[in-house]
Amino acid sequence: MSEVNVIIRTADQTRKAEVSLDISNTGADVIQASVDNWSLPTDTDYSLVSTSSGKTITPNSTLGKNEIKDGDILEVQPVLVAG
Amino acid sequence: MNIDRYQRHSLIDWFSQDDVKASSFAVIGCGAVGNEVAKNLALLGVGRIDLFDFDTIEIHNLTRSVLFRESDVGLNKAEVAGKRIKELDPNIDINVYSGDFWDLLSLEQAKSYDCILCCVDNFEARIKLNQICLITGTNLINTGIDSKFSQIEIFPFKSGKYIACYECNLPNSAYERMQKRYSCGWLKKISFIEKKIPTTIITSSLTGSLAAANALNLIKDDSQHSAKRILIDSFTGNSTLSTIEQSCTCPACSVMADHISIAKGSAKIESNHFLDLNEADNITTSDPILVSYRCVECNPNEEDSTKVFQCASKYDSSITTCNTCETDSVDVTIKDSFSIDELIADFAGMEIPAKFIRFDNKDRTTIIELE
Repeated sequence: MSEVNVIIRTADQTRKAEVSLDISNTGADVIQASVDNWSLPTDTDYSLVSTSSGKTITPNSTLGKNEIKDGDILEVQPVLVAG
Repeated sequence: MNIDRYQRHSLIDWFSQDDVKASSFAVIGCGAVGNEVAKNLALLGVGRIDLFDFDTIEIHNLTRSVLFRESDVGLNKAEVAGKRIKELDPNIDINVYSGDFWDLLSLEQAKSYDCILCCVDNFEARIKLNQICLITGTNLINTGIDSKFSQIEIFPFKSGKYIACYECNLPNSAYERMQKRYSCGWLKKISFIEKKIPTTIITSSLTGSLAAANALNLIKDDSQHSAKRILIDSFTGNSTLSTIEQSCTCPACSVMADHISIAKGSAKIESNHFLDLNEADNITTSDPILVSYRCVECNPNEEDSTKVFQCASKYDSSITTCNTCETDSVDVTIKDSFSIDELIADFAGMEIPAKFIRFDNKDRTTIIELE
């Protein structure tokens, strides 16, 4: 088991936390934990972006596979559906 | 073309009015963002805009729709938008499609655009449009808004393979949310109430501008080889630009082979239809098909099933209630994958109720658009 210390924040930056995560966690795991811990609206869907690499983290890929490292910032972005 | 109209554009060193005039776009969805995108493309002086929408104008649309007036309430959105665009610039070739793009937009037509701009308001339509663009290699710009954020996603499918698609990053919760609208897989729930997302002209105009700017980028620069997303917080001005990563488990692009060939064919099931395939090979239909149904109380034997073989989206959940015993005991069979053997044995002479069928053979995906 290996852990990384990252900063997770919401896209509007009203919520931010420094956390230790196992690198086996997936993008979907991080989003679910953010929704649960911050009581984010459950009628919205979210996507995860590493602002450090400038790349999205797909829901089923792990932090390890995305080469997330200590100090990286992960942003929880809403998936917008209205048009 | 009256060149005086575009005189100011000609002073911009990076702007080629000739290239813009030679370009063509489809705008899918003529709501708040669709209005802004169509208006911007028109004022830029593009050559052709095709507008698609099945919906009609409601009074509450007017706070976000620059092309609509109070007197337009009740009229089709695409028709009214087309008329107003023609007033803005009569030089533009405008085509209006007052219906569902899935029924009206052929794969050949999709391929003819420089870019398709997705301005719809639901996941299902986005997934379908993504499929069309992925198959035909047509550039796609997806847009989305809420009351605060603007989002656009650029998928330069024309530049080649290995471009992430819309579904690569779609969260599992989005699929779960879509399924809540249906019962038994793909039957529309008659009691489902769609959640309305409030938006303002601020986010729709911001999104429309970014979408049109990136559509222009796609025609003047064909060297974009990765999909990207721009998210802007309209309150703070904070924005994030990210590269959209491809997913090896994507339900849309990961199932496509490196080579995609597109053909047209009759929807009627005949044995000579599938000459290149073995009887055991499978085809996938673009639309889930309601194959049959049976009340397990009134007709306990499976052989007594009523054969339907129609597009499942034409039916709603009321079909699961038996007309005879009036209980919810009707089993329905909905499929989107069939063996050739099964199709010929059970459905010969019938028409496949789908936009296209797909089959994979070694390193090639073949799409047959059904006529």
